[in-house]
This record gives sequence, C-alpha cells and structure tokens, in this order.
Amino acid sequence: MAVIAAPRQRASRRPRMTFARRQALWGYLLVLPVSLVLLALVAYPFVYAIYISFTDRVVGNPGGWVGFDNFRYLARWSSFGRAVQNTITLVVVTDVLKLGLGLGLALLLNEPLRGRGLFRAAVLLPWAMPGFVAFLTWKLLLVPIGGGLNLVLNETGLMAVPEALGLGSNGIIDWLGQRSTALPAVIAATTWRGFPFWCISFLAALQQVPNELYEAAKIDGASRFQRFRDVTVPAIRQVVLVVALLSSIWTANSFEHIWIMTQGGPSDATMVFPVLAYFGMQSQRLGEAAAVSVALVPALLILVFVVTALVRDDD
Amino acid sequence: MASVPATTPRPRAAGPTQGGRAVEHRARRRPAAGSVGAYLLLAVVTVLLLFPVYWMLTISLKIPREINRVPSLWPQTVTLDNYRELLGERGFLTNLRNSTIVAGSVTLVSLFISSLAAYSLVRFRYRFRGLVGRLILFGYLMPTSLLFIPLSIIVARLNLGNSLQGLIVVYLTFSMPLSTWLLTGYFRGVPAELEEQAMVDGATRMGALLRIVLPLSLPGLVAVGIFTFTAAWNELLLALIFITSEDLRTVPLALQYLITGDVYRWGPIMAGAVLSSLPVVILYFAAQRVMVQGATAGSVKG
Repeated sequence: MAVIAAPRQRASRRPRMTFARRQALWGYLLVLPVSLVLLALVAYPFVYAIYISFTDRVVGNPGGWVGFDNFRYLARWSSFGRAVQNTITLVVVTDVLKLGLGLGLALLLNEPLRGRGLFRAAVLLPWAMPGFVAFLTWKLLLVPIGGGLNLVLNETGLMAVPEALGLGSNGIIDWLGQRSTALPAVIAATTWRGFPFWCISFLAALQQVPNELYEAAKIDGASRFQRFRDVTVPAIRQVVLVVALLSSIWTANSFEHIWIMTQGGPSDATMVFPVLAYFGMQSQRLGEAAAVSVALVPALLILVFVVTALVRDDD
Repeated sequence: MASVPATTPRPRAAGPTQGGRAVEHRARRRPAAGSVGAYLLLAVVTVLLLFPVYWMLTISLKIPREINRVPSLWPQTVTLDNYRELLGERGFLTNLRNSTIVAGSVTLVSLFISSLAAYSLVRFRYRFRGLVGRLILFGYLMPTSLLFIPLSIIVARLNLGNSLQGLIVVYLTFSMPLSTWLLTGYFRGVPAELEEQAMVDGATRMGALLRIVLPLSLPGLVAVGIFTFTAAWNELLLALIFITSEDLRTVPLALQYLITGDVYRWGPIMAGAVLSSLPVVILYFAAQRVMVQGATAGSVKG
C-alpha cells in the first residue's frame, strides 16, 4: 500500500509548485554541470592567474604579494615590448589581408561560375586542416634548403627579385631565420590558414541576401558599385565585424603558429605573449609568466564586451 | 582555436533564407561579364591555397636525397618509407591512439553536458540565466595562454599531471564553452511548439528533449561534435605543458618534438602531418554542409 501512498502524497504537493518554479528548477538542474565546470576550470583559474601575476611565485614556492613589481618589470623588458609590437602588427596586418582576400574571394564565388564547387572545396581545405599541420607545412615551405618557396622562386627565375632586395644569395633565403623576413613569413602562413574561414562566413552571409534586392536596385538604376555599397555591405557588415573581432582575439592569443615556425625567434623578431609566457613558465618564474598573459586582460575584456554586445542574444 | 566557428549557428530552416535560396535564382542570373578574369584570379588563388598541401603530400612520399640535396617539384622516386619509419620505429600509432582517446572522450563528455545546458538556456526562464550565458561566452573567448599556469598548479594538486585523464580534464576548459555556445544556437532553431505539442500528447520534458529536440538538432550535434573533436585533436600548448612521458604524447606533441632536433627529418614529419590531417579533413568534408552552416549561418543580430 505504501507504494501507492507515496505517489499520491507527491501528487498532492505538486500543485503548490507553480509552473514557472518547476521550469526554473529544471533550468537550474540542467545548466548546473556546465556552470560547475566553467567555474572550476575557467573562472577560478582566471582569477587565480591574476592573483599569481601579483606574486613572486616560482615552481615549488608560492611566494608572496609583490604588488605591481612584475608589471613594472615587463614594462622594462625588451622581449615583452617586442611581443606587444609583434602582436599588434600580426593582428592588424592579418586582419586586413584576411578581409581583403576573404571578401574578394567570397564575392567571386558568389557569382554564377562553372566549377564553383571545386573552388569552394579548395577554400575549405586550409580551414579543415589542423593548425599545427598547416604551420609545420609552412615551416617546411620556408626552410632555406629543400623548402618549396625557394625552389619555386629558383625554377621560375623570380629569385632575382628578393635577392636584389638583399634577402639572400645563391638561391637560398632563410625566410624564417632572419629578422627582416621572419614576421612577414609568419603573417603569410597565418593568413593562408585563417582567411578561408572569413571567406566561408562572408559567402554564407552573401547567400542570405535575397536576389530581389539586387534586381530592384538594378531597376532603380544603381551601378555595380552602388549595389555593392547599398545592398551587399549592409547585409554582411555584422558578420564582418564579429568575425574580425573573434579572429583578432584568437590571433593575438595563438601559440602554435609561432611556436612551430619560429619559437619567437630570431632574437624576438616574432615573439608573442603566449610564447613568452610559456618560456617564463619553463624558467619556473610563474609570477612573471602569469603577468605576461594578465597584461593582456584589459584589452581582452574590452573585446569580449564588444563581442557580447554584438552577437545575437535573444532577449 | 582559429579554425573554430565564430558565431552561434542556427539551422537554416529558422532563418529568412527560403525566399533567397541561392541555387534557383542564381541560375537565372547572367554569367558575369569579366568571367575570364574571374577564372584567372580563382586559378591563382587556388594554386596558392593548394600548393602547401601538395608540398606536404609530395615530401611525405619522397626519399631523403630528393628532399634536401636535389629538391624538385615532382618526386622522382615515390616511396612509402617515411610512413613506415613513422609508424614503425617512431611509434606514431601510440600518438594516434592517445589523441583519439583524448579527443573522443572530450567530445563525448562535452556534447552530453553541453546539450543539457544549451537546452536549459534556450527553453527555460530563470534568474541568472543571462549570467550563465555570459559566462559561457566569456569561457569561449578565454585564451588558453591565460589559463595554463593556474591550470598546471591545479592539475598538480589533483595529482593528474602527465596523464591522459588530466589532459581530458583541462581540455574541458575550451571544449565545454565551445560546444555549449554552438549548441545554444542550434537548439534555438527548433520551434518550441513541436515540444509543447509532444508534451500535450503526454511526453515528459525529458521525453520531449530526447525524442523531439535531439533528433531535430542532429546535424547541429554532428557539427558541434566535429568542431569539438578537432579543437581537442589540434591542441598543442596544454599538451606541451601537461604531458612529459613519451608514450603519452598526442599527435601534435609528437610532431612538434620531431622539429626540435638539429636535423629535421622532413619525410616522416610530413607523413605524420598527412596522417593526422586525414581524419579531420575527411570529417569536415563529409559533413561539409552542416559544418559551413554551423560556422556561419544566421549567427548574428539583425
């Protein structure tokens, strides 16, 4: 009998719980696991990183509070200065290149061309490839001996151009090994890997533009440029902005492209924050290493804030 | 992280796309006037896109002499020796196995837990919902380079250092926000009316989730699963910090150790590059439609 009694009791209690409360309870229950993981593995380490950056912690010794000492040290440290410069250059130049290439190619692929599918597949490839593979391959393309780029330049006779610029001699240029070419080479590789994603995003946005808009504009006598400016640009502006912001955050914080191709060298010519932080950790000076990444937090927070305001939020 | 979708996706049916279905109206359009120029441009871009991939493939099939001493654009002698060396004496199968275990576990755990959370965020109204949503976006944008030092301390404290389990746990830092963020977008595209209908017909909340929402979001789950899997498969920085034993190295880790010596053995390295790209590239191309749509469609306000 108890078996029957129990559900009846519950049934009599149920009406007291409103629909809204039951909903809320379900909501909390289902969102709880992710919230716990995020608190434990993202929020807590984030706060912890900021705390460590204000201590002189080393491996094996938690150290003590040193205030802004680590940041004062960073301000005087030339490697850190290089990392700031390189990151800004890397982000700005790759963003511009990716925008130009991505948008240009997306506009082309949006035209009714034969074999468009094949070209699209070619665009997908660098995006689909693992990043470390892409950068390993680029390292191999750029090595002085046996590298694909030098070989192509030599075979086509174009080698004379970079050689005239003093970048190398005897058909050998060490693209990643000399200060003048290392950062441009890294930018080229990063752009190659990154712009297909921009192109794909733009293409998807372009295909959502109803063709009637173009037809109507044409009937009203709008020129090709006017149609681009007044129909295409408004339709993709949002996507461009979000993709550019996210891509900037990722490029600024990416580790593998630099680590695999140059490890920040030669003599800091391609040094960036994550690599510097990693070296700091290897030398066991955790306080300073944490400060390297934490120094970026204000800029990061601004970008996150902008992205949050931009992306769709249903209420 | 860069290969990961930028924005919240949404199934196509939900967007205002029907009227502008690309294929039909495009057929009606006249071919572009300057199409010769367009093809020329496309050809150049395609060569630039494909040459590195071609180089990777040919080097993996070349004999050492042809890689360094007498380089050529075409391999004169085609050999599988590089693959044999990599899989044989360099034990690359172990690395592939480790990566599969780590990326597979991370994907399964993330997909399961994230789909619960994403469903909750989309369907239920409660306090702190907005806050949790913000936290997820914040986690999605949080750079690994900011977290690795505290994570290394936490993992050491938990005694999980130098183990695949430890790596799986720390990979949740990026996989969880990623999959929750993307799944939220997919679930938004499933009309609430369908569920309500099912519940009127006697299904429970869970029943509606399992029988209505999950099947309808299956393409989304597949896409998010692939994104999560590749994010874990490609991760290098955390693996570099947390794995010290040779037999626990994941694929990216094993390959990066091959380029730290003085003499690079490019043949086996590129063989490894080919082998580690294959599963991911195949997944991307097989699921191409949902992937591209997942990466982009209907992602933003307005």
